[in-house]
Amino acid sequence: MTKAINTIRSLDLQRSVIYFGFLGIFLFFAITLHDDGFLTSRNLTNIVLQTAPATIMAIGLVFALSAGEIDLSFGSVVAVAALSAAIAMQNGPIIYGVMAGLGAGIVIGAFNGVLVAYLRLPSFLVTLATMGLFAGIARTMTDLRSIPVLNDTFTGIFGSGKLFGVPSLVIWTIVAVAIGHIIYRNTRFGAHVLAVGDNARAAQVSGIKVPHVRLMVLTLCGATAGLAGLLYAGRLQAAKYTLGESDLMTVIAAVIVGGTALNGGKGSIIGALLGSLMMGMLNNGLILMGLQVSDQMIVRGLIILLAVAISLRETRR
Amino acid sequence: MTYLKSTLAASALIALSTGLSAETIGPGGESATPSSSVVVSDGHIAVVQAADYSAALLWHDQSDFVNAVTAGASDEFERLGIEVVAVTSAGFDAAKQRSDIETVLAKSPNIILSLPLDPVTSAAAFEEAREAGVALSFLSNLPADYQHPDDYAAIVTDDLFQMGKQAADALATAMGNEGTVGWIYHDAAYYVTNQRDNAFKTTIENDYPDISIVAEQGISDPARAEEIANVMLLKNPDLGGVYVTWAGPAEGVLAALRANGNTSTKIVTLDLSEPIALDMVRGGNVAAIVADEAYELGRAMAASAVLDLLGENVPPFIVAPALAVTADNVVEGWKKSLNIDAPASLSSK
Repeated sequence: MTKAINTIRSLDLQRSVIYFGFLGIFLFFAITLHDDGFLTSRNLTNIVLQTAPATIMAIGLVFALSAGEIDLSFGSVVAVAALSAAIAMQNGPIIYGVMAGLGAGIVIGAFNGVLVAYLRLPSFLVTLATMGLFAGIARTMTDLRSIPVLNDTFTGIFGSGKLFGVPSLVIWTIVAVAIGHIIYRNTRFGAHVLAVGDNARAAQVSGIKVPHVRLMVLTLCGATAGLAGLLYAGRLQAAKYTLGESDLMTVIAAVIVGGTALNGGKGSIIGALLGSLMMGMLNNGLILMGLQVSDQMIVRGLIILLAVAISLRETRR
Repeated sequence: MTYLKSTLAASALIALSTGLSAETIGPGGESATPSSSVVVSDGHIAVVQAADYSAALLWHDQSDFVNAVTAGASDEFERLGIEVVAVTSAGFDAAKQRSDIETVLAKSPNIILSLPLDPVTSAAAFEEAREAGVALSFLSNLPADYQHPDDYAAIVTDDLFQMGKQAADALATAMGNEGTVGWIYHDAAYYVTNQRDNAFKTTIENDYPDISIVAEQGISDPARAEEIANVMLLKNPDLGGVYVTWAGPAEGVLAALRANGNTSTKIVTLDLSEPIALDMVRGGNVAAIVADEAYELGRAMAASAVLDLLGENVPPFIVAPALAVTADNVVEGWKKSLNIDAPASLSSK
């Protein structure tokens, strides 16, 4: 008995909250919305498809937060990347689009990274500024016009296609999470990220190139936002300057709820995936419950508040 | 070339909206049918009830306007025994709108009423609903390449030309039919605002020879209205009137006039807003607000979708009337437009 209590006590509640939260919300909707199509494979697949871009952005943000940095600009990067890809494919092959989209994300991420790592500016302020900067650039790129994406190969790979019956967005999610998780948990770079976030001075003394790590995590954030932009462009078969605008808070909430510490040194890619799916499941389930829009927002806000509160409370201990 | 082809409908909307037509016209050049003629008769009620239809309302945002459209649609559905199974708001996010459509399709609605956020991004978003044979009634916008009647029941919108024209007439009256005007238009390729803005400009230019538009400024972010108005007033201190594309930025323009101690420049704008209306009833700068009949828009959307399910001929392009609201009719106008009582601050004046 004592052993069991000790085991429960030793559980990392911050890490566990996402698993219990995810399971609890899933079971609640599964029971209450049993007759409303929640448990249909189509609906559950939809949740994964709808959250794929946010999940991929969350992976980048886990690295940044774990290193003690933050990126607020990734929503704007999504729009720039999607528009860059769409414009490049108007008169060019798919590879131009992919390179333009991913390239835009990487370049913007590296731009943030250089300012933070080598000019020693706080990432919060740098990315707050570049969030506005690149939102403005996204608007001017096409004079606020939406650009259609008509390349069927592109929309198949990044949007509505399937491989062996599995939707491409599900594959992107699985591959990105797997790669992210392995890098985060099993590589020297992942260890360096956590060391820098835990104590940058100690990391520096132990020989870790702290500025390099900071540059890399912010570049990674840009790259994941670039990939998210490609997924949005593929899914909507179009790019628009508003893409990604509303993702900032969703992604931050998904990452925090998923067990990543705001002040660095601790995080979880799997947790971020579950956090992102939880956000998608909440959106989906509250709509299917037939709630009015305002009520959907209130309930979603309260649940996120509860989950974040539990996560952050444990972090401070 | 491919881009041009795929955005044909969008381009048509924009081209028509910037033309000098003297009436509201549809995206394919369709002439407008008054919403009052789109009615599901009592004789159809039994058939509709037996069919056990359901409907979903997928809006672009939340506002008094959307609430009134929802109320109009919901009341019509209730009259016909149709259950509303979901209501969503995309918050102007094209990706969320697509997700909302996918989500509500799990409930297999027969009818979807929606405002497509953008012709280009909405084309793919509504594809699944179109393929599922859902009766689609659109508010004010049309996904690119969608054809009537195969792909959708109807587009329902305001009488956009009349809104702009009535705004011009009201401002001209307030200015004694002479003077100079500033024109603050919506700087985006958006069918609704483009038609309204251009109708105002066309009416002033054609019908009021003693009024000249001396300043033109586009706006895409309502938060910047105050600074735009300040610059306009700095360059044109004797401005007799300002047209503002909708009420949100008009609040910023009003703030600029107040900050400058300007009591003579008149404002006319579109869509109801309590702070703007309060200035109007207090005899301030605001001369008139031109509103739409949002409740009627919702009713007509619901009716058009039901008629489509019944196999009736539905006109492709339906318009609800415009309504000029002044200090004299603000209480009645509020009720007629939004189907709610005017705020106490206005009715007590």
